[in-house]
Amino acid sequence: MTVLATEQKRVSVGIGQMAVSKDPTEVLVAYGLGSCIGVTVWDPQVRVAGLVHVLLPDSEGRRSDAREPARFADTGIDALIERVVAAGAVPRRLVVKVAGGAAVLGPANTEKFKIGERNAEAIHRRLKRHGLCPAATESGGVKGRTLEMHVATGKTFVRTAASPASEL
Amino acid sequence: MPDSTQHLVTTLSKVAREGATRAGRGLSGLMGQEISIHIPSVRIGTKADACDAVGGEESIVLGTYLSIGGDITGHVMLLFPEQRALECVDLMCGQAPGTTTEAGELAESAIGELGNIVGSAFVNALADQVNLVLHPSPPNVVHDMAIALVQSIYAEVLSQGGDVVMIDTVFEDHTGNTAGLLIIAPDPSCLPQLERLAA
Repeated sequence: MTVLATEQKRVSVGIGQMAVSKDPTEVLVAYGLGSCIGVTVWDPQVRVAGLVHVLLPDSEGRRSDAREPARFADTGIDALIERVVAAGAVPRRLVVKVAGGAAVLGPANTEKFKIGERNAEAIHRRLKRHGLCPAATESGGVKGRTLEMHVATGKTFVRTAASPASEL
Repeated sequence: MPDSTQHLVTTLSKVAREGATRAGRGLSGLMGQEISIHIPSVRIGTKADACDAVGGEESIVLGTYLSIGGDITGHVMLLFPEQRALECVDLMCGQAPGTTTEAGELAESAIGELGNIVGSAFVNALADQVNLVLHPSPPNVVHDMAIALVQSIYAEVLSQGGDVVMIDTVFEDHTGNTAGLLIIAPDPSCLPQLERLAA
């Protein structure tokens, strides 16, 4: 199926939010990931796509704020997988990609809590618990990233303030 | 908003006003033009809306980040829409506006200096009012998407638990265009102390 670029609807997935879609005209976008991490999942068989925009590594047993249901890496990944499975995806078929976790405020040692680095570790740990390993990861560094998931193709793209979109 | 939070917001607004006035004076002096200051807005849990003043979430900004150490800890960030930052550099260097066209080494060094003066003016005003010793860190020049920067401060503060309080001050030039956005975020552990001292 061919989808013209002009027909695309960009769905912004804000901090602590997630989106699951089967609509081939949609592009799920996490704008400006700093220390945040965006995780995309895609089941190529049923063509279900998901994107979660995680803020912090660990819920430590806290309930998620209703306004930010995917605030934490652990509960956010669980919720994303639950949602795509409910939409018809099968976990072992999921193609997972991860981007974000930068130290945009300066070199890692000026950030007291190294949130970006810890987020990346927490995401990988949680994915592993679900038997998943990312097919591609672009994390760390000192620049923010925007992550896009094209529902029509399952392709993901990352761009920064300094560089145009490239496929992840 | 609970009463205690409302009280905190009122107290911090008072403290922020003096800081913003001094910071605005610093900015005005450096740029050699009149700068007006919006009354700082103190917000709980703010994120993306802080970016509106600099052109929206994905807009590219240039600015400085410094952390505050000493009796009270927290974060200070001064952001300019990219184009505006380059104009600031020209004004600071006594060049015709439009001379600087990209954020090179000279521009970054000038923006670092600007952030240092404006950020320190705010921090010193705060220190005077609450009679504490505060040390701003050396400035780190940032050049990135606005939301990535604001979000990272939000995460740093939120990770410590408790309320995220962000004080946003918008500076405007005489034409009503945004001349800068100053964001202050105290670490949550310092909020009760700050409130007590400022009361």
